[in-house]
Amino acid sequence: MPYLGGEETVRELRRALSNPNVQSDQLRYRNTILKVIRAMSQGVDMSGLFSEMVKACATVDVVQKKLVYVFLCSYAALNPELSLLVINTLRKDCQDPNPMVRSLALRNMTNLRLPSLVEYVEQPLAAGLRDRAACVRRVAVLGWAKLHNLQASSEIDAAVVNELYSLLRDPDPVVMVNCLRALEEILKDEGGVAINKPITHHLLNRLKECDIWGQCQVLRVLQRYRPQSEDELFDILSLLDASLVSPHPPIMAATLSLFLSLCSGQPAVSLAALERVRGPLLAACGSGSREMRFTALCHIQLLLRSIPGLMGAHYKRFFCGYAEPAYIKQRKMQVLVELVNDENVAMLLDELKGYCTDVNAETAQAAITAIGRIGRSYSDRCLEILTGLLGLKQDHITSAVVQTMRDLVWVCPQCSDTVCFALEGCEETLQDSQGRQALLWLLGVYGERVSSAPYTLEVFIDGVRSEASLGVKMELLTATMRLFLCRPAETQDMLGRLLHYCIEEETDMCVRDQALLYYRLLHCGIEETRKVLQGRRSDPSLGVLIGRPAEPVSQWARSFNTLEPLRQGSIETESVSRGSPEHTMFDPKPNADLSNTLDCSRIEKVHSDGDGRCSDSSADILASSVAAPLSLSLFPALSPEEFERLWLQQLALHAEQEEAGKEDFVWMEECVRCPTIPRCSPQSLQAAMQLVNIQTLAFTPPQTLPWRVYLYTHTCLDDAPHSTLILGELLYTGEEPQKAEVHKGSADGGVGAEGIEDEQARQGMEATADGGQEAVKVTLRQQPRDDKALKGFLSILTTVLHTLSSERA
Amino acid sequence: MSASAIFVLDLKGKVLICRNYKGDVDMAEIDHFMPLLMQHEEEGLLCPVISHGNVHFMWIKHSNLYLVAMTNKNSNASLVYSFLYKLVEVFTEYFKELEEESIQDNFVVVYELLDELMDFGFPQTTDSKILQEYITQEGAKLEVAKTKVPTTVTNAVSWRSEGIKYKKNEVFIDVIESINVLVNANGSVMSSDIVGSIKLKTMLSGMPELRLGLNDRVLFALTGRDKGKTVVMEDVKFHQCVRLSRFENDRTISFIPPDGESELMSYRINTHVKPLIWIESIIEKFSHSRVEIMVKAKGQFKKQSVANNVEVRVPVPSDADSPKFKTSTGNAKYVPEKNLVVWTIKSFPGGKEFLMRAHFGLPSVENDELEGKPPITVKFEIPYFTVSGIQVRYMKIIEKSGYQALPWVRYITQSGGTLLIWRNKYLWLSYCV
Repeated sequence: MPYLGGEETVRELRRALSNPNVQSDQLRYRNTILKVIRAMSQGVDMSGLFSEMVKACATVDVVQKKLVYVFLCSYAALNPELSLLVINTLRKDCQDPNPMVRSLALRNMTNLRLPSLVEYVEQPLAAGLRDRAACVRRVAVLGWAKLHNLQASSEIDAAVVNELYSLLRDPDPVVMVNCLRALEEILKDEGGVAINKPITHHLLNRLKECDIWGQCQVLRVLQRYRPQSEDELFDILSLLDASLVSPHPPIMAATLSLFLSLCSGQPAVSLAALERVRGPLLAACGSGSREMRFTALCHIQLLLRSIPGLMGAHYKRFFCGYAEPAYIKQRKMQVLVELVNDENVAMLLDELKGYCTDVNAETAQAAITAIGRIGRSYSDRCLEILTGLLGLKQDHITSAVVQTMRDLVWVCPQCSDTVCFALEGCEETLQDSQGRQALLWLLGVYGERVSSAPYTLEVFIDGVRSEASLGVKMELLTATMRLFLCRPAETQDMLGRLLHYCIEEETDMCVRDQALLYYRLLHCGIEETRKVLQGRRSDPSLGVLIGRPAEPVSQWARSFNTLEPLRQGSIETESVSRGSPEHTMFDPKPNADLSNTLDCSRIEKVHSDGDGRCSDSSADILASSVAAPLSLSLFPALSPEEFERLWLQQLALHAEQEEAGKEDFVWMEECVRCPTIPRCSPQSLQAAMQLVNIQTLAFTPPQTLPWRVYLYTHTCLDDAPHSTLILGELLYTGEEPQKAEVHKGSADGGVGAEGIEDEQARQGMEATADGGQEAVKVTLRQQPRDDKALKGFLSILTTVLHTLSSERA
Repeated sequence: MSASAIFVLDLKGKVLICRNYKGDVDMAEIDHFMPLLMQHEEEGLLCPVISHGNVHFMWIKHSNLYLVAMTNKNSNASLVYSFLYKLVEVFTEYFKELEEESIQDNFVVVYELLDELMDFGFPQTTDSKILQEYITQEGAKLEVAKTKVPTTVTNAVSWRSEGIKYKKNEVFIDVIESINVLVNANGSVMSSDIVGSIKLKTMLSGMPELRLGLNDRVLFALTGRDKGKTVVMEDVKFHQCVRLSRFENDRTISFIPPDGESELMSYRINTHVKPLIWIESIIEKFSHSRVEIMVKAKGQFKKQSVANNVEVRVPVPSDADSPKFKTSTGNAKYVPEKNLVVWTIKSFPGGKEFLMRAHFGLPSVENDELEGKPPITVKFEIPYFTVSGIQVRYMKIIEKSGYQALPWVRYITQSGGTLLIWRNKYLWLSYCV
């Protein structure tokens, strides 16, 4: 097809179209129109031919009609006045004896999308609803939705809405489903089509008649239904069971989505449904289409958040095929990390190791990161693999390994020896800034154990002039400062040179300011510097992989079977292993961009962060039961020594200050009944607490008596001016609880926690009745005093403990 | 669901054809698609969803075309992909081959199809059998408006028209199984499954009612019979014509078939499959000089059966040159553009063993590039044989007029997308299928 110059072609075609000889010869006329459409598809502006094409639509040839309509719908917006001429022909076509012609006319009448034509369209549309041919009714029903879409502000006649409701009983299943779609659109402001009991039962009975698309639509609309009784609920569930294990992934997913929303009050049933879809989901993961496989994987990731062990036995299904695209491989690895357990860890690591040398650098890095994640639970084996990979001397692999090691050490400080040993010599193969930043961080923090650290840094400092990356320069400054603190003799000279360069010659303000800061800090004396620079080396609370608490299904149920799960993961991988661990730790998750743009399901707040970093969102959700919104925070961190000091001081004071109501702190005791808590592994308890931003500081091992946990957090109430610090102790003695289940410290005499108190008391009573050994004594200390916040915190804590213990039970 | 618009693009990102279904997104947004796709590909973050602002593109690639659905809603991803694949399926049935040329040549039909397949962003009629009744390529030839309305538009049985007539009434049943085996470098089978499908070619008059009997273990257990070999099928998928309720109740597969060719059902069997053709290979790489490859293939199936068109694909380093081959049977060929040696054996009887030796030169300068280590794959077909042992026990054909019809059954086993893992670099390896 040669390129046709725009104006010349238009002129030529116009001449042909208005030539009476052409018009009288059907075949030539149609061929000319064909040329017009072809040029239009190729992007040539044909709008000039509008009036000629309007004339051409008065024909008996259906194909010609269709072509002309395609043209008219594309250019109608540019020629609203001329479009009025078409309406006549279209309205005449609506009377045609051939239903195909009638439906064609109706469809295109509504596709013109001209508000000025609405008054002419309404009458044929109304007639279309009552047409005897199903194909016309299908078009007419959707036509009303299009009309509404065109002028969303105007009210659609109530009679039409009623008629659409009655058409839900149309014998043609597509008409029925289109009615649902149209009503959803028209009644959007009222929350969509009204789903009552008769409609629900009608739709369920006819579900089988619909095609895949129809079934999905029906299942989706039904999500809004709330069964009136438990019997009805289970009737519906049994009716839908066949769809739940349907071999068509879209139907299976839509049914599961419906199950989850129907059973939102019955977590056990939801979990059973998840178990039931395991087979079909796994089958979808092996589907022939890679996009479907990808979608299935993304949804499996959602499921795993609630049942981590769901796919445990089927881990081999997530091994990557050689020819699979990188996005599938990366998702599969993310899933594999979740599935690791004592039995399969060897096999899994062996497999992941194979992916580390993938030709695609991103896949290789993802595999290395995955090994690092598993390393949080199985550090020895993983470190062995990681160290081995360094031997390959491939720069992208080395970079990924060093970054992974840095992240691993931050979580598992016990790995530091191996890591320090492995670091020697890898600076030669490191090319990219991310990898070098990671290396510098490690050298700074563990400099005293890496013998060659000063020499490595010296190379960096000598080359700082030609260094392009801002991040590397900043990291270099910090690392050199840190190393100076532990090995001053070797580092002093180079630190001087570096500071001199950065202050005198560096053009970037950030680097210069940081150098100035360090310079002035050094002036304040070595002790001050040490205080600022030697923070925490690790944060063990971040990283348990196994025994992580399962999230409730409701956390993700609303985003299931939408576009959202497909996007989350990519954000997650981006946030992992970037910059130093200290810096990323308190970053809020950049998860908002999607939810803002997608209108139908803004889920409350996705806690997409897989590795349990701090986030306020879950705290929000848990705290939603409390009257005022309360959020917890771990910042500023409290060291164990500090904790001990405060705790003991306060114990002493508590003894003395029985009557002093004006005291700045509050002190309270509660009993919470949570049978299996003391048998929980420290990791899972810690992770659960972490999820709501409560930091656990010390544990006794599980199964020992008396069992104790110490914890702290900061609260900030939205309407309160300041935050408060709460220290707490969980104590389980295994003995009968004291007679009075609840007795509060005197300083807190005025706390208006009547409701909670009663409830706790009741629970306490039940506990006694059940054998009584299950109560855990909670002692809390708050400073400064804020009763509302304390109350809120206690309810969060109780929720966490209950969730954990019900999970164990 | 709801897609706002559907685009068909060529490889350069030029719009070949598009349809704006909802009018709520600016059609010019598609101009961002290709640059974003390229950018993501470069960063290695390629993903089937691409977003620009509040517009999301969900795309699939088919031969030299991109099919893109554009939406600004949080729509149901799996449904959109299903729809795009449905588009491919429908177009392929119309044009045999779906590619840039066929879209260019048939854009009238494509416009017509896009109109019928979806309205206002919702899929409408997607069954190609039905569509073919009223959208035909012949329609493009001039013919003054037929007033005949296809019965299927309003029919109770949407996949079959009434009044079909054949002189000789026949049904052909093909049972095709393909096996996927994953073997690691030590020669142990990591995972294996069988994907089977039963295809029909129906040439029957009127509205016949068919019943198909298989040696389904669940059925045999249900009826208390326990003789002969039975199979357990998983993930059974049926054509929409099969009455699912009957299958669930008593495992009867009963249906009114669509006319012509169709896939009646597909299933998966997750059993341990012994590799049918076992491959052992020794690949020795002498750096800077040569590679020597020895491959041994052994047929591990019944002596009576014969595997046809066996193809063993052995990957070689990309910088190899001057190939030399020696085979005990069949032909070996070097395909340099794919870095493969393809050894073809026209017919391979069960129980036999064949050998192939290959010798390649290597340049004296070492290739630094990191090379993928693709697996050895084997393709073949074994007629008159199914791995799972599935059997068609009977096919009953009942029609009002009471004609006699003949069912024909054919079995065939193929190797599917067989995957074998290549781990160690040019060491002693053994693979199999």
